[in-house]
Amino acid sequence: MNATTMDDIAVVGIGRTEFTRGSGRTTLGMAAEACRSAIADAGLTPADIDGIANFQAGDSHPGLAVARAIGVDQLSLCLDISGGGNQACAVVANAAAAVRTGQANTVVVYRSMNGRSGKRFGVATDNGSSPLAVGGEGQFNAPQGYMTPPQWMAMWTKRHQHVYGSTCEDLGQIAITQRRHAHDNPHAIKRELVDMDGYLNTRWVHEPLRLLDCTMEVDGAAAIVITSLDRARDLPQPPVVIHAGSESHGQGGSWDQWEDPTVMYSHYAAPLLWQRAGFGPTDIDFACIYDCFTYTVMAVMEDFGFCDKGEVGDFFSEGRATHGGDVVINPHGGLLSEGYIHGMNHHYEAVHQLRHHAGNRQVEGAETALVTAGAGPYGGALVYTVDA
Amino acid sequence: MEAVPPPQPLIDIDSHGFWNALADGRFAMQRCSTCRLFQHPPAERCNACGSTVAYEELSGGGEIFSFIVVRHPTVPGYLDDLPYVVALVELDDQPGLRIPTRLAGAEPTDVSIGQRVQIALVDLAGGNHTVAVFELAE
Repeated sequence: MNATTMDDIAVVGIGRTEFTRGSGRTTLGMAAEACRSAIADAGLTPADIDGIANFQAGDSHPGLAVARAIGVDQLSLCLDISGGGNQACAVVANAAAAVRTGQANTVVVYRSMNGRSGKRFGVATDNGSSPLAVGGEGQFNAPQGYMTPPQWMAMWTKRHQHVYGSTCEDLGQIAITQRRHAHDNPHAIKRELVDMDGYLNTRWVHEPLRLLDCTMEVDGAAAIVITSLDRARDLPQPPVVIHAGSESHGQGGSWDQWEDPTVMYSHYAAPLLWQRAGFGPTDIDFACIYDCFTYTVMAVMEDFGFCDKGEVGDFFSEGRATHGGDVVINPHGGLLSEGYIHGMNHHYEAVHQLRHHAGNRQVEGAETALVTAGAGPYGGALVYTVDA
Repeated sequence: MEAVPPPQPLIDIDSHGFWNALADGRFAMQRCSTCRLFQHPPAERCNACGSTVAYEELSGGGEIFSFIVVRHPTVPGYLDDLPYVVALVELDDQPGLRIPTRLAGAEPTDVSIGQRVQIALVDLAGGNHTVAVFELAE
C-alpha cells in the first residue's frame, strides 16, 4: 500500500435505472432501485451496507432517506455532499477514505436526479420569486441575461478558440465519436449516428456551442458499492481497484474570475493525479471524461496530457480517441449521448469495462481507466485498475 | 409573448455598495485598504489579506476577454431579445478583474476579442436597479 494511493479499496457492485426524458418517479424511488441493484450485483444484501454517500444540488433525496428505502436501518457513515458533477469523483474518494479509515465497511454511493423532468441545469432556475431574484455571484450576472452553465461554457470555449485556434469542427469530432460509441450502447438515450454536416446543422444554443455540444439531460440514477479489497476478493464480481485520485477546486468557483479559461481544474488536478498514481496518460486504456459539454472534454484532455493544446480535434478525427487508438474516450457515449447522470454513470461504465463485461463496446484488454468529474474551476479525477 | 421582467439582484450586505453606487451613477467595486487589490464578487473583507474594503469607482474602460452570442431562449426578460451578445470584459483597473456584461447595441458580427469597450449605465426593467452594460468604444 502506497500512502498516496487507495489500492486497498475496491468497487464491488454497480447498479442503475433506465435513463429517460421523463421518469414519472421520485429521486428516492430511482436511488433505491440503483442502490439495490448495485448491492445485489455485489452479491451482498442491504444488511451488509453500513455507509451511504451521494452528491446533489438540492435536487435529490438525501442518503438517510435512501438508506431507509433500501432497508438499511443503521448507518455508521451518512455523507451528503453538496454540489454538481464536480463532486462525482470526490464522493467516491471520500467513501473510499471512509472505508480505509474504518468509518464504514461497505458503502453504497449514488446519484439520482430528474435532470430532465425536474430541476434542469441548463435552464434559468425558477426559485419561485417573480420576477426571478438571484443572489450570490449570480446577482451580478443574471440581470445581464447571463446565468446558465451553457452560457459560461460557451464563454470559455470562445476564449480557447481565440488563443489556440480550435474550431467548432474540433468540438464536432468529439460529439461524433462519442455518439458512435453510444450507438453500441443499448442504455444510451441518443444512439443514432451523426456526421459533421449533421453536427454543424444542429441549432446554436449559445454561440460557439451547438445543441450537440451540450449534454443530454435525462432522469435516472446510478450507484456503486465500495468495500475493502480484502472483502472484495471474496465477492462474486472481479474487484475494480480505486488506485488513486485527486481534486482541484479553485477561484471560489467563479467562472468569470478564473485566470485562464483555456485550462480547467484539471490543470491542477492532473499533475497531482499522475504523481499519486505513478503513471501517466499513455498508461490509460480508456477514459470517462466528464462531458457536460464537448469543450470540457477538449480542455480536460489537454490538461491531462492526452494531447497538446489545440490538437484535440485532430486526436479525435484521426481515430486516436476510439477503439484501436491511443485511448478510448467515453466508450458508453458519455453524458453527451448516454445521458447526464452528473458523472455517476462514468463510474458505472469504468467498472463495467474493467470487468470486461461491456460486450460489443468492450475496450479490448482494458486494465486502467481514468474517470474525471466536473468542469471549469472545480472537479476531480480517479484512476481505476483491475486487481493485480 | 408576455412581458416577463429580467432577473433582479438579491442584494446582500456585502453587495449593497455595488448596487448603491450604480444607482448613484457610479460603477464601483471593492478595493482593499491595505493591499489595494480590487475584488469581485464582493465579500466582507479582502479575499487576499483580510483587511477592510471600501467601494471605489472604476475607470469604466475595458477590453473584451471573451464573448458569446446568446441564441437559445434562456433567461426571463431576454426571451424576445435574441440574439444578443454577452461579453466577459477585463477591466482596465486591474489585470484579471472581469465582469460579464451585455454588449449594448452591438451586432454579433461586429464583436471580436480584444476590442475596447466603455461602460454605459441603464435601468433594469422590472424594479428600481441600475446595471452596468458596456458598449464598443468609438
